[in-house]
Amino acid sequence: MSTLELRDVVKHYASGIETVKAVDGVSLSIAGGEFVALYGPSGSGKTTLLMLAAALATPDSGTVSFDGRILGELSERDSALYRRRDVGFVFQAFHLMPHTSALDNATIKLTGDGCTLREGRRRALPWLERVGLGARAEHTPEQLSMGERQRIAIARALANEPRLLLADEPTGNLDSKRGHEILVLLRDICHERGIPGLLVTHDLDAAALVDRVHTLRDGHMADGTDPELAATSP
Amino acid sequence: MKSPLNPAIAGVRLSMLAHLYRARLRSHAVQELLAGSGIAVGVALVLGVLVANASLTGSAAELVDQLVGSARLQLAARSQQGFDQQLLSATRALPGVAAAAPVLRENIAVLGPHGRRQSVQLIGVTAAVVRLGGFATRELGLGGFRFTSGLILPASVADAVGTEPGGSVTVHAFGTAHPATVAVVLKSPPFGVLAASPVAVTLLSSAQRLTGLQGRVTQVLVRPRPGADRLVAAELSRLAAGRVSVVAADQELSLLAQAVQPNDESTTLFAAISVMVGFLLALNAMLLTVPERRRFVAELRMQGYDWRQIVVLLSFQATVLGVAASAVGVLLGAELSRAFLHRIPAYLTTAFPIGSQQTLQLGTVALAVGCGVLATMLASLSPALDLRPGRASDAVFRDRSGGGEVLAPGTPTKLAVLCLALLVAITAAVLIAPGLTIVGGMALALAALLVIPSMFARAARVLRWAGERVPSSSLIIVVSELRAVTTRSVALAGIAALAVYGSVAIGGARADLLRGLDTNFTEYLHTAQLWVTTGGNDLTTNAFEAPGAASAVAHAPGVASVRVYQGGFLDVGRRRMWIVARPPGDATPIPASQLLRGNLRQATRLVRGGGWAAISQGFASEHHLAPGSRFTLPTPSGEAPLRVAAITTNLGWSPGAVIISSLDYRRYWQTAQPSALEVNLRPGVSEAAGRRAVVQALGPSAGLGVQTFRERQAQYAADSRQGLYALSEITSLLLIAAALAVASALSAAIWQRRARLASLKIHGYDTGQLWRALLLESTIVLGIGCAVGALAGIYGHALASRWLRLQTGFPAPFELGLGRVLLTLALLAAIALAVIALPGLLAARSPARASLQE
Repeated sequence: MSTLELRDVVKHYASGIETVKAVDGVSLSIAGGEFVALYGPSGSGKTTLLMLAAALATPDSGTVSFDGRILGELSERDSALYRRRDVGFVFQAFHLMPHTSALDNATIKLTGDGCTLREGRRRALPWLERVGLGARAEHTPEQLSMGERQRIAIARALANEPRLLLADEPTGNLDSKRGHEILVLLRDICHERGIPGLLVTHDLDAAALVDRVHTLRDGHMADGTDPELAATSP
Repeated sequence: MKSPLNPAIAGVRLSMLAHLYRARLRSHAVQELLAGSGIAVGVALVLGVLVANASLTGSAAELVDQLVGSARLQLAARSQQGFDQQLLSATRALPGVAAAAPVLRENIAVLGPHGRRQSVQLIGVTAAVVRLGGFATRELGLGGFRFTSGLILPASVADAVGTEPGGSVTVHAFGTAHPATVAVVLKSPPFGVLAASPVAVTLLSSAQRLTGLQGRVTQVLVRPRPGADRLVAAELSRLAAGRVSVVAADQELSLLAQAVQPNDESTTLFAAISVMVGFLLALNAMLLTVPERRRFVAELRMQGYDWRQIVVLLSFQATVLGVAASAVGVLLGAELSRAFLHRIPAYLTTAFPIGSQQTLQLGTVALAVGCGVLATMLASLSPALDLRPGRASDAVFRDRSGGGEVLAPGTPTKLAVLCLALLVAITAAVLIAPGLTIVGGMALALAALLVIPSMFARAARVLRWAGERVPSSSLIIVVSELRAVTTRSVALAGIAALAVYGSVAIGGARADLLRGLDTNFTEYLHTAQLWVTTGGNDLTTNAFEAPGAASAVAHAPGVASVRVYQGGFLDVGRRRMWIVARPPGDATPIPASQLLRGNLRQATRLVRGGGWAAISQGFASEHHLAPGSRFTLPTPSGEAPLRVAAITTNLGWSPGAVIISSLDYRRYWQTAQPSALEVNLRPGVSEAAGRRAVVQALGPSAGLGVQTFRERQAQYAADSRQGLYALSEITSLLLIAAALAVASALSAAIWQRRARLASLKIHGYDTGQLWRALLLESTIVLGIGCAVGALAGIYGHALASRWLRLQTGFPAPFELGLGRVLLTLALLAAIALAVIALPGLLAARSPARASLQE
């Protein structure tokens, strides 16, 4: 089974004359079938960690590896290929194409990888059914609720059958009921498919639905130090 | 703070409105500058075209006003030879005449010390014009300036020939060269339009000496006493005895207005297209700011502002931006018009004193500014749509469509149906009344805009069909954007459509006209191998006094025959007609390609024999004449009775032409003075050798020029193109402005989609894939606009050429010119795509972080 591994990862950004330590010596390992949450306030480095896992950024020091491959050593082309074939990504803002059917939206990774639209639709339809939108496959995002839009985004993330699931605040634009449903769905998919999943959130309720929670504060892992989190951990 | 200077509108103080706008300027200076620049360019385009359109008659009107002063009537000569000056004293003696002044006006050429030549109208006046209050008093200020026998030249003429006050020039008048001195050079200011007009002013006696017309004048300007106009007009008619015309003092303006009418109408169509393009340009520029303004509106609502306050705020900001940007646009447009669009058609200056002074009228400025402000206001309404009842205050924060309102699903079809209805209406209207073509042309431009949304929907279907079958990472992205038919994408394609429409329609009609004129003038000139004229006159209307010239040329080595061609302008009603009096020996007095009605062989025989004429269609229609009809022309010897032998085009002179035999001309105009000598050479003699021999035979003192058929043909071709210069310039300007506008608006639209593009990167799309998708999308948006514009343009071209033939009488045979259409499309698309390539690449390189929340 695939594993996402971060070892002593440091990532600093220059912000004006200051250097911001976005991630400062973080180590984390997520095994296949595990759905892990990174909890932390805004600016704690959660998104940076997600970008490192998606090979959208390279660490200043330390290593980020997936299935033994060091992501920081991938060429731009290979890192794009990694995201296209191995990673499924769910955004807070959905980023769906407007006026395009749910099914066509779900094909976007497949067409980007050389599929025809017809082939893409054939492969994406089961995933749309899996997230409960099979009957609304030809509806456009504008005709669907926020929760349904996020389900399209999940089907899109899974259509290429990824080996790693990354989610950036996927419930940020949803009410608590819909948010809960989405998190359960993501967790179940990770469990079913035996793939590692990393959820970035500042929603404490989310912590109760994942397998493991880590807290990030000012770029450091602060596990076990947050009393609120301790109270919600499974 | 309560103050009348600081009123509250819907509860918001003016000072608060100003404060909020200052804050906006500080925080979004670049965005506001971009929007302002777009509006300014749009307004500049509108103003530039409108000013260029209005200046032609505007400057002539000022000049005529300066010449005639308070005169309300005039005696006007019917030929260049004028009439006896004795009529002046007889006029002054008439009851009811308050003042009268003699004027002699003749076309001459002024040559500078280095041989630089400028055709001008010589105006000979006396101090009597002071009493009429014309330019002699107001502009030359007779109190301080004393008339001399030298020439008073406007600065434009002095500069053109390279002379200065006190300098010597040579005047070519009536085929004779005379030395003259430049007394004064009029500079602008204070002489205004006079300083920019192609004229030379001198004392009447000097003008008579230079032209050899001693004791003759071409006008007597008359100011009747108050209430005596009718009496004076009747007395003048009695005095004129049918040999001199009695007309309004500013009659020339009516004649000019009629002459430039086709030009005015065609540039009106262009001006209308430019107004639409300028409007869309300004609208697009404003749409750049829409997403950000929508967020601003949402924040204000959350702060407790009500809808009225927000509308006031948006309107205030739009008005300030619109007015400020439009003011800059006015300055730009005036400069644009001065630098690129304002060139006087040479063919008109031979018949009218048209100056190069640019006239900026308040109404024109108001129209241009109005367009700018209206576009700004309309685009500002888009954020206000968030104020609709039931819409959440913060809805914008969840909407990432990126600017421009999405059209309702059924709207493209409804607009397409409307377009179809409009096309049917245009076709019917133009078929029934060709005079409605210009209005039809504007409606056609509107129809082109209406069909664009449905074209987007169709293109999306085709591309999606292709995407089903062809593996492509770009197609689905493009399909998605095309399906989201926004006001912005329609406006984008609309600019391309209008620019291509204008270029294809007007460019096509222009090409047809040029082809028609070239054919016409080739036939017109083909009667002789060499032409001896006063030179510089493109319609061969300047007579010359050269008693021995024809005989000298006839005896030149290599010359086979010499024929005397005569011609000139004749004011008939509201038309300044071109009189072509061909010698009986001319092989083809009537150009075969220009014949519209009548039998060529029979008409040629009748015209040669005298008493018959070939007349232009416009003149024939106006007087209900057909082949065989009788009519009269007001000649210097009285009304000349003639019959219609044939009906022709206008031979390239918009008021129309009359072809008669030179025998008739001599009889009715009472002059043997030629306006050209047509020379044919013996077989085997080259045109160059013949030309040298004729120049030698004329001698060095002759103020005459000798041109081979090809040289004169080339001159006519150049003058035709120069006459249509404004149309060519506006076409180019429209295309360039449209290409840049489309490119900048597309770039901005792409830039505002960075977050969505960045999300595709997270899905594994690389920069190259995104860039290709953006270029494909831009190509298709542009392609739709260009294709719609081209189709509408081809139809518009056919209508315009028909209008030229039927309404103006110009020779303009329709020819599709597919190469020109494709070149126009390629040019616009290439410029726009080249310009958006870089911003497209930058947007494609957006960091993936842009799509994530931190």
